[in-house]
Amino acid sequence: MYFPIGKRVAIVKIRTMESSAPVATPFAAETVGLTKRYPLTWKRKVLVALDHLDLQIRPGEVFGLLGPNGSGKSTTLKLLLGLIVPSEGEARVFGLPPDSLDARRRVGFLPENPYFYGFLNGDETLRFYGKLCGVTGPKLDRRIEELIELVGLQNGRERPLRSYSKGMLQRIGLAQALIHDPDLLFLDEPTAGVDPLGSAQIRDLIMRLKKMGKTVIFSSHLLEQVQEVADRVAIFSLGKKVLEGSLESLLAESQSTQINIPAELSAEQQQRLRAAISQTGIDDQKIRFTRPHLSLEQLYLRTVQAQADLSSKNPSGK
Amino acid sequence: MISSLHRIITIARNTLTESVRKKVLNVLLIFALVLVGSSVGFSQLATPGLDSSGLFDAQIKFVKDFGCGAIGLFGFFIALLSTAELIPQELHNRTIYTILAKPVRRSEFLLGKFLGVVLLLALCVALMSLAFAATLYWQELQGLKTTDAAYAQSSNWQANSVLVSAYNHDVQQIVQQVRDPQLIEAIILIFAKLVMTIGIALLISTFATSSIFTIVTTFMIYLIGHMESTAREFWLASGANSSIWQSSLVGFISLLIPDMNSFTIVDEILAGNKVPWSHALNLIGYADVYLIVLLAVSVVIFDYREI
Amino acid sequence: MEIPASQMSTCLPLSWRLRRATLVALLLGLWAPCKIVWEQRIAQEQDFLRYHGVTMTRQLRDELGQGLTIGVLSGMRSVVADLVWLNVTTAWMNNDWWKMGSYINLCTALQPRAPVFWDMGGWELAWNASISTLYDKTQPNELRRIKASRFWIDKGLEIYLRGIENNPTYWRLWNDTALLYDQRLKDYRTAAYYYRKASELPNAPVYLERFSALMYDQHHANDDQAAYAEWKALWEWLTPEERQMKIHEGDRIESEIRRLEQKLSVPKEKRVFPN
Repeated sequence: MYFPIGKRVAIVKIRTMESSAPVATPFAAETVGLTKRYPLTWKRKVLVALDHLDLQIRPGEVFGLLGPNGSGKSTTLKLLLGLIVPSEGEARVFGLPPDSLDARRRVGFLPENPYFYGFLNGDETLRFYGKLCGVTGPKLDRRIEELIELVGLQNGRERPLRSYSKGMLQRIGLAQALIHDPDLLFLDEPTAGVDPLGSAQIRDLIMRLKKMGKTVIFSSHLLEQVQEVADRVAIFSLGKKVLEGSLESLLAESQSTQINIPAELSAEQQQRLRAAISQTGIDDQKIRFTRPHLSLEQLYLRTVQAQADLSSKNPSGK
Repeated sequence: MISSLHRIITIARNTLTESVRKKVLNVLLIFALVLVGSSVGFSQLATPGLDSSGLFDAQIKFVKDFGCGAIGLFGFFIALLSTAELIPQELHNRTIYTILAKPVRRSEFLLGKFLGVVLLLALCVALMSLAFAATLYWQELQGLKTTDAAYAQSSNWQANSVLVSAYNHDVQQIVQQVRDPQLIEAIILIFAKLVMTIGIALLISTFATSSIFTIVTTFMIYLIGHMESTAREFWLASGANSSIWQSSLVGFISLLIPDMNSFTIVDEILAGNKVPWSHALNLIGYADVYLIVLLAVSVVIFDYREI
Repeated sequence: MEIPASQMSTCLPLSWRLRRATLVALLLGLWAPCKIVWEQRIAQEQDFLRYHGVTMTRQLRDELGQGLTIGVLSGMRSVVADLVWLNVTTAWMNNDWWKMGSYINLCTALQPRAPVFWDMGGWELAWNASISTLYDKTQPNELRRIKASRFWIDKGLEIYLRGIENNPTYWRLWNDTALLYDQRLKDYRTAAYYYRKASELPNAPVYLERFSALMYDQHHANDDQAAYAEWKALWEWLTPEERQMKIHEGDRIESEIRRLEQKLSVPKEKRVFPN
């Protein structure tokens, strides 16, 4: 860390955690033995928020951080962003220390709650954060237009952020995280408090970002959503990483196979199918026939979208 | 370097915008302008029915004292309250997380915030100075009106060369005192003192946990700073005569607390005495270097602060 | 997960904390001695320019009260002095001369380099207070009244003289002292001295230059020799351009010198105007 003005001490390297030279690495983000402890002086105890975390996230993957509140997800994000300093261990983003400017130029962050200035409107907010990222002039203007379009904030861009709804704040949050076209995105509870339609839009956006080759690390409590977008997940509990792996390998129930038939079978048809399968050596008592269910989210989306399509075709309401 | 400066200025402009859009500051400013204007009323109050030759000298002195006193006092409140809120607000609202997640150094953030408050103060001082100038001008007009009336009591006084000479002299005295270019020097010195106060408040806020603590501590340092010269003289002269505790306390004050009392030469300017620009520049230089040290220490402390 | 407090020192890396402490100590340690030296230089300059008022003493603090003391301590000494001056005005309106005198002392102590306090203070005492006591019917006889009046004139004179000590280039103080000697004390020779001093100072009105000479005329000291010396000194003090201007304007300097040279029978070769 340097400070740009200094009469007596012209340029002093204040802080070097470890070497600040980039290390060649195949990972977008990695941690080795990353630990964070907080002193609780009034309780005469020490809180271990994160305990020796080893994590590797490859470029282009969507990684989900899961766990109950206080399990260390946010702490991990903050350490990877360089906002806090580890008590032990190391974190690297694209081979660089997280608090270096080069690392942060390639990183975008959507905070859990709207940590933005309420007195600025949408345009001013994006302009402010854009300038801080070194995006200026006509390029910044273009970028703001693109992002407003992308997140669907045309109506609210002139209004101050303090008048925004939670959904709008998440959208502006996403926009500012993307303003400088980062390679790695940290999303802390991106769909918290957002209605299912907006939530679905954010999910689609994450999929689009993945197609663009961006790496996304996000934490969420909405397990079904994580299931839909993440490639790999890690589950945290009490500051420790308990489980990690691809969804495919973690969720697949071994010892069973699912067949989807696009028709409702009568009892007789079910009996005939059961007999056919049991001839392959499988105990027919263990074969179950169930009707697949839509998720409530799918039903909701389908209904709301249909209504929206209907309204756009018949604006007079007839 | 340029991009660093660019980021600092972006944060400064944002800070200024935030302060300007806040209603509280507007109220404070209006209050200040009213006080500056009412200094005229006070000067009339202090010199009722006065017939001495020093009448206008006294009235103009009171207007100057009160006008600059109001600028100093309100400037102090604006500086202190704005600075004390800077860091705690960012931490409380967590807006600092979003900013520091961007490629912005903590030092740039701090310096940008500081610059924003300094710009705000400069704006307020400029507005109050305009009000002050208007008040002084009104006082000049009053003085000239009273002089005209006094001389008009002698019929055909314009024919008397002695009376004409006396009239011209009286008018010249009033105008000279009102349009004293040294007043600009005085306001610049007041501003320099206030910017130093901002630096102190910023330093305290980098490690303080509440803005109340910052306000109280900065105010105490401000007061002790006016006694620092006495402490320094005592410490340098006392040698082995005082106890270790006395010596330590006085030494601590002398070594670390700024000498605020040296800025009271503004009183001399307001009383009409000559203060050369070389001395004013010496004081301003001292304030600037002190400020750089304060900012450097603030940057170090803030760099290492857990947020 | 919570663990015992014995691990508290491991919350932040030791090297980190040491670096922070070292840098702060280094910055302050380098600055502290420079600060002392610089402040001493500034103080010396200010002493040389005679800026210092009184330092806050217990007595002064008691006299001012807590609020005004804080005002002085926070660098608003001139405003505090102005506020105290309101008490002078109030005391004058109540004819409370002793109180007025003590407030004048307080104001001048707070801001000795503000000439108006000495000027107005001296006037309040030497004129207002003294004339009021001169007509004070509560005194048993005229002698007492005259004595009381004279007491206040002396008090006023003291203020003027101390004011001159602190503000030697403020012409009004010299002028007011001269006026007091002239009109109340009838000491024309001393008045002449102070008028001359006043006229030589910057910003003094032009008409003042002849007052010292006028103090020796028949209505005052009636000393032709001294009057001639004053007029002559004035003429010699003027620049050639100023002299031309005064002759052109028909100024009385020339006529007075001529008259006195005639009256005193000054030898022609020693005359300013031999013709």
